[in-house]
Amino acid sequence: MTAELFVAGLSHKTAPIAVREQLAVEEDKLREILLDVHATGVLSEVMILSTCNRVEVYGVADVPGEARALAFRRLAQQRGLDLAFFEPMLYTKPGNEAVLHCFKVAASLDSMIIGESQILGQVKGAFALAQSCQTVGPLLHRLLSQAFAVAKKVRTETELARHAVSVSYAAVELARKIFGGLEGKAVLLIGAGKMGELAAKHLVDQGAFPIFVTNRTWPRAQEMARVLAATPVPFEGWSETLAAVDIVITSTGAPEPIVRKAEVQRGLHARRSRPLFFIDIGVPRDVEPGVNELEAVFCYDIDDLRQVVESNVRERLREAQKAEALVEREVARFVARVHDLEVVPTIVSLRERLEAIRRGEVEKALLNLPHADPQTRKAIDALSQSIVNKILHTPIVKLRESSRSGHGRSWTEIVHELFGLGREREGQ
Amino acid sequence: MSPILFDLALLAYLGATVLALAHLIQRGEAVYRAASLLTQAAWIVHTLALVVRGVELGRPPLGTLVEAMSVVGWAAVLFTLWAERQYGVKVLGAFVLPLVSVLGVSAAWLPPGLTDLAPALRNAWIWVHVILAMLGISAFVLNFVGGVMYLLQERQLKAKRPGPLYYRLPSLETLDRLTYRALTLGFPFLTLGLFLGALWARTAWGSLFTFDPLALFSFLSWLVYAATLSGRAVAGWRGRRAAYFAVVGFGALVLTLGAGLLLPGRHGS
Repeated sequence: MTAELFVAGLSHKTAPIAVREQLAVEEDKLREILLDVHATGVLSEVMILSTCNRVEVYGVADVPGEARALAFRRLAQQRGLDLAFFEPMLYTKPGNEAVLHCFKVAASLDSMIIGESQILGQVKGAFALAQSCQTVGPLLHRLLSQAFAVAKKVRTETELARHAVSVSYAAVELARKIFGGLEGKAVLLIGAGKMGELAAKHLVDQGAFPIFVTNRTWPRAQEMARVLAATPVPFEGWSETLAAVDIVITSTGAPEPIVRKAEVQRGLHARRSRPLFFIDIGVPRDVEPGVNELEAVFCYDIDDLRQVVESNVRERLREAQKAEALVEREVARFVARVHDLEVVPTIVSLRERLEAIRRGEVEKALLNLPHADPQTRKAIDALSQSIVNKILHTPIVKLRESSRSGHGRSWTEIVHELFGLGREREGQ
Repeated sequence: MSPILFDLALLAYLGATVLALAHLIQRGEAVYRAASLLTQAAWIVHTLALVVRGVELGRPPLGTLVEAMSVVGWAAVLFTLWAERQYGVKVLGAFVLPLVSVLGVSAAWLPPGLTDLAPALRNAWIWVHVILAMLGISAFVLNFVGGVMYLLQERQLKAKRPGPLYYRLPSLETLDRLTYRALTLGFPFLTLGLFLGALWARTAWGSLFTFDPLALFSFLSWLVYAATLSGRAVAGWRGRRAAYFAVVGFGALVLTLGAGLLLPGRHGS
């Protein structure tokens, strides 16, 4: 019987949140389940990936169907669920499909938001957990290490994850398109909206400094200043800072625009056409739309930012096609390598076997020739070696070829029989 | 020998142009690498062609306007290869190479002009004058391209509808720095080149500024660049205004070339 790699599970593509949330398991429980499932012996290797968007079992088993049922029955039992309840939502991907699926998941091509970066960390976590439980063997180890490498390759060679798909990150990205780096760019935050604060934090992460904050109520401004390590500015005097700042974030609840075009225009002279970027997250808007018409001033309100996000999502989908092609190439390469590995141990033991025979026979022959000079001894040794190599050449080539065409196992078995090689299993 | 090399270089430039434009539309690292390699190969062949031509003529290959155009293209590619690395602007080739190709194709189509120079022009100083002017002009090719890219990117940002170019073009700040750097690189070359030319005119023809259409237009271009440079240095111009001036200055240079090719004058070929 030959063990096969498989992935089985459900994801946001097949199951509603109501089902996924019932199956999701925290780490401690997961450890227990992994050990239980592995102890049955049905799966020789197993790893469980449990996130809010997917619950998947990666395993190696003789009968994937049986292994799947076992693993998910155990997962369901956790919450007192019945397997039949969600079984129709389960998918099973055997062999090469499993490899493809694993690579796609790690590269975030199967995610709800394609290209989001969290999933790679989650897969790494699941793998580390399974490793610590000692439920992974050589095949899963090889699969996952390669999946991480492929994910990295996708990240560097395509722009799958390069464009922000959240409003606050989109604002940061726009700032970068204007200013290049954000190190040393000064930021003014007007108002105490949550989103504004988040955007300001992102900018600080990118090196923006110094940060000014202002608010209609002075104590609130002081409090925000503490949170953001910023300098509070009196609300009446915020426009004084216009000459010194590069990015202004507004998120107040004011019914009327706070930032007027005329006011900004007055502040522009001292800026000598250095760019000024308004991020207006307030609804109703805090910045007069006309501000965008001023030279070197860019003003994005919440709808503009959403539009950028939409366009970024389209851009990601376009990049995803490129990434899929890359992943498929990597799958083909991986499968070929695994097949090679299938026959390598046989080739090694075949060589060892013949080498042992050769050495024994050479020694025997030399015992019968006690007066042979070193030159003759060397010649006999070389002769025997080249005979062995010539004999081995074709079988080795054939073995490698057979592995690539998927018949490696039957060939290795025949070779084992023919040459009486050891019974040890490959890859161990 | 040299015509074949020039044709070969031109073919490679055309190929690199296609690849660079494909990279602009399609992206993909492989296409960029291919475009970059082909550009470098083209530039090496171009260099060889210029050297061989120089040996064949027994003088620098800068005696006629057509020859000078080729040298401008050559130096512009050199500056571009440098700037691509320096500023990490991978799409620069897609903007410069079409210009270089147009320059190359028109140089190939135009009559080569005189191979023998007037006795008045047989002097080492004249070569320094031409080389400096050509180096200056090729830096202004970069200045122009940077300005155009700036205006395109600024338009995208103002319109708030990110099109394909928004994703490809670098930040405004990078483009502004690139444009400024090209200006400060080209201006001393052009200034010195024109100065030497004027000095030469005085010794050869006895007047500092004889009427010559090419000289007149290049002086006009110089004025535009001088204004931009002082505007940037003194009044802190940057961004859009500087970009517009880069375009205007380049327009003046194109007029200069047109004047040199079409109107009779001392530079006539």
